[in-house]
Amino acid sequence: MIEEPYRWVEAIANRREYIEAQLAPGSPIASLGYRDGILFLTVGQTRQKIFEIYDRIAMGAIGHPGDIERLRMAAIELASTEGFTRSATDVSLRRLVHYSLSPVMKSAFEQVYGPPYLARMLFAEVGEQPEEDLFLRVEYDGEIAANGATYAQARQDFAALSGTQQSRELMEAFLASQHAPDANLESALNSALDAWSIGHMTLQTSDAKEPPERSAVRKHRQEQLANAGIEAAVLERDAGRAIRYRSLSDSKLRPLIRD
Amino acid sequence: MDRSPVAFDQNFSGAAGDFPVLLRRKGLLAPAAANPLPQAGTPEKTWQPTEATTILAFKFSGGVLVAGDRRATAGNTVVYDRADKVLEIDRHSIMAIAGVPATAWEMARVLEHSFQYFRRTQLQEMSVDGKVRALSKLLRDNFGFVMQGVGVVVPIFATYDSHPKPEARLYFYDAMGAQFEVTDYAATGSGSPAVRGILYYENNWGAKPLQELGEDEAVSIALRALDTAAESDTSTGGVDRSGKIYPLIKIVSREGITTLPESKIAAVFKETVA
Repeated sequence: MIEEPYRWVEAIANRREYIEAQLAPGSPIASLGYRDGILFLTVGQTRQKIFEIYDRIAMGAIGHPGDIERLRMAAIELASTEGFTRSATDVSLRRLVHYSLSPVMKSAFEQVYGPPYLARMLFAEVGEQPEEDLFLRVEYDGEIAANGATYAQARQDFAALSGTQQSRELMEAFLASQHAPDANLESALNSALDAWSIGHMTLQTSDAKEPPERSAVRKHRQEQLANAGIEAAVLERDAGRAIRYRSLSDSKLRPLIRD
Repeated sequence: MDRSPVAFDQNFSGAAGDFPVLLRRKGLLAPAAANPLPQAGTPEKTWQPTEATTILAFKFSGGVLVAGDRRATAGNTVVYDRADKVLEIDRHSIMAIAGVPATAWEMARVLEHSFQYFRRTQLQEMSVDGKVRALSKLLRDNFGFVMQGVGVVVPIFATYDSHPKPEARLYFYDAMGAQFEVTDYAATGSGSPAVRGILYYENNWGAKPLQELGEDEAVSIALRALDTAAESDTSTGGVDRSGKIYPLIKIVSREGITTLPESKIAAVFKETVA
């Protein structure tokens, strides 16, 4: 069937369409660099979506839980053995993603007789300074998007992950205009909740070019938070101790929400 | 990275989250040494394993105090006078080591990574019993080397348990990996007989039992005990009065681990020991 090149291209295109459809309902995750670290946030607690990978690295993921688990395990194994044989400072997110995860995901995606990874991941590594924070989004086909400055885009102090490209882009547009990298945790939390709401609202709509009205976002946010729990974690910038990851409980965050 | 799901093997073999297993699979940790069989014609013991150091730990009102001298020796030679034998394994656990430093530090490193690895992969903290057992297993795996005359390690493990009720826990081990939980105090190393005598005496007939001591009183007793050990044991550094090198003292409490600053130890030493 796929001996002919164009058949292979067709198979890949079908596979892409299938995976996109599987990932489309995924609840968004927002990740924001702020003064004291990096905040990861999503709403809904049916299963954990934000994970500690290593001392300075965290991961958020949407997709099939089995695939997320295999990728998460691989990332932890790689980081842990690197940290053990060399040192914790030699564990680098850039190397982990570029040289280990991405090639594996790409080949799984392109070998059309084998199963691809149904997962989309967002990694962040906290730096000494906010300018050193690194965000990497890894797609199911191994594609990597980073937060660094390019000719087309200014450096971003945030990253977003969502079920659809449109939803993610609206979240990013919101964060680019509303989020300041020197924000405190309270501001970052509220920006993250707004970004999540925008992402969540625009998952279903097919042609939203503009983000929803501010009042609509607030309303959606209140409705969702009335029922669902917040899942959040931070990577602390404080160099006082090696392990920077700390999960934040829903009850600790509720008082910080501004309506 | 291997596409074959390593996590799959692990989670089904009952070794979920076992870091030493991962290291051995990747060839990064020596396999457990086999115990050598005694051979005809070789003397029973060619080399006497020594634990040239003094480590002590006891519970006091503020948690567990763990103290160690700073001297590292090779035979009769002092090779280092600022050795760190009281090692932090995680936020609430300390491993204090007597024995061969290379093996001991490697063990501490494996242990530290094991606890982190377990938490990250299994998404829950390893229990205190699990941690105590992990160290025991490392010692057991090392026993073949001990029998070959290299790499004996006899540690103390101090930690703070929050489940089921918050309390400090203290263990000592033998070289084969047997663990013993103690209620009051533990000491290992070549200078430990003297220390054990002092702690037994203080606990029973001192001004008050060890568990009721305040921090300064506890530090004072630890310094006196190490100084006493150094008096007769050449392998124990005690307090270097001329070089101003003091023992290393750490305290494990509910809040975590505190390393006492040298200035504080120096002050207590000057007031109550010197």
